[in-house]
Amino acid sequence: MKVMLSEKDLTDFEEEVKQLFLDKKIRSPVHLSVGSEKQLIEIFKEIRPSDWVFSTHRSHYHALLKGVDRTWLKKEIMENRSIHIFNKECKVFTSAIMGGIAPIATGVSMALKRNGSNDKVWVFLGDMSFEMGIVHECIKYAARHDLPIVWVVEDNGLSVNTPTQEVWGTETPNPKVIRYKYERKYPHQGCGQRVIF
Amino acid sequence: MRAKGDILTYVEEIAKAMEMLATNKRSVFLGQNVAYSGSIMSASLEKIPANKKIELPLIEDAQMGISIGLSLEGYIPISIYPRIDFLILAINQIVNHLDKIAEMSSGRFKPKVIIRTALGSTKPLYPGLQHCSDYTEGLKALVKNVEIVKLTKSDQIVPAYKKALENAIESNKSTILIEIADKYCES
Repeated sequence: MKVMLSEKDLTDFEEEVKQLFLDKKIRSPVHLSVGSEKQLIEIFKEIRPSDWVFSTHRSHYHALLKGVDRTWLKKEIMENRSIHIFNKECKVFTSAIMGGIAPIATGVSMALKRNGSNDKVWVFLGDMSFEMGIVHECIKYAARHDLPIVWVVEDNGLSVNTPTQEVWGTETPNPKVIRYKYERKYPHQGCGQRVIF
Repeated sequence: MRAKGDILTYVEEIAKAMEMLATNKRSVFLGQNVAYSGSIMSASLEKIPANKKIELPLIEDAQMGISIGLSLEGYIPISIYPRIDFLILAINQIVNHLDKIAEMSSGRFKPKVIIRTALGSTKPLYPGLQHCSDYTEGLKALVKNVEIVKLTKSDQIVPAYKKALENAIESNKSTILIEIADKYCES
């Protein structure tokens, strides 16, 4: 069943987690999501209960909006699993390895397409992860093979404290790439004739 | 022509093992030179139905992630890396996800992948350091939940792949099987 949460529902949850953290009730890092409520509520209107959601170390809002029970999530966080929120019933899958969820999500979307399913995969990534090579590979592959997957970039301009656009640069001028076509005469290796030693 | 009961060669046992894996309705074979010829492993896949073969671009780490994703939706991927030197590019997904997801998720997600790779052949041609290294012990040091089997003898091959399939079906466990390409040409 689709859950409808308000901005206050979300911020109340994170404020409660914050307090638990301050009270030393959580013995693992927590990555709070406050600031993205409005955008996420809008995006999750399109996400169905049977869809998959892939997220990162910062996944509390994604889990709640996908339908994960608030009490269950709080228990997971208090058991030091804030960065590893996995809920099979709600199809929520996370990883704290940046860019790591991109190919896994792509594989799930390949399976859904092979199965003829109408379900979709939604991938939530930070702005630095979005610049990673493996993420580009997956976006290109998924788009060219028409896989049922949507990429959501959560752009706060920072990767930890590193300004993403400053380190990547803000413009892509025409790269100096020379590409030429040719037809090969010989196979990949050797010359096409068997050599007996 | 071989008579029934003749001992199969190493490469024949490999082909037999692949056909055995293909009989499982959820198995899929993926990698480069899987649907197309070109690698030393391609010949062993010739009898695998086309709808079970997924040819991928050169995206080794992504290939392992894709294999994990297919497995999360119930497939049994046979993820093929023709040389162990190329499998090294997929170590991120193997170590950080395949080996750890079941533990990280408290057993809620249990991906299972059968990984097929080989030590590159050195005879009759020496292919250079990047094509015939042996990282078996290094891999063993990096994972604790993925089983690693080196296939040194031909009579070991079919039972090892059968066990890898059983691991995937019954215990949701992944296996890396390391073939020895120098044995492909043995008669």
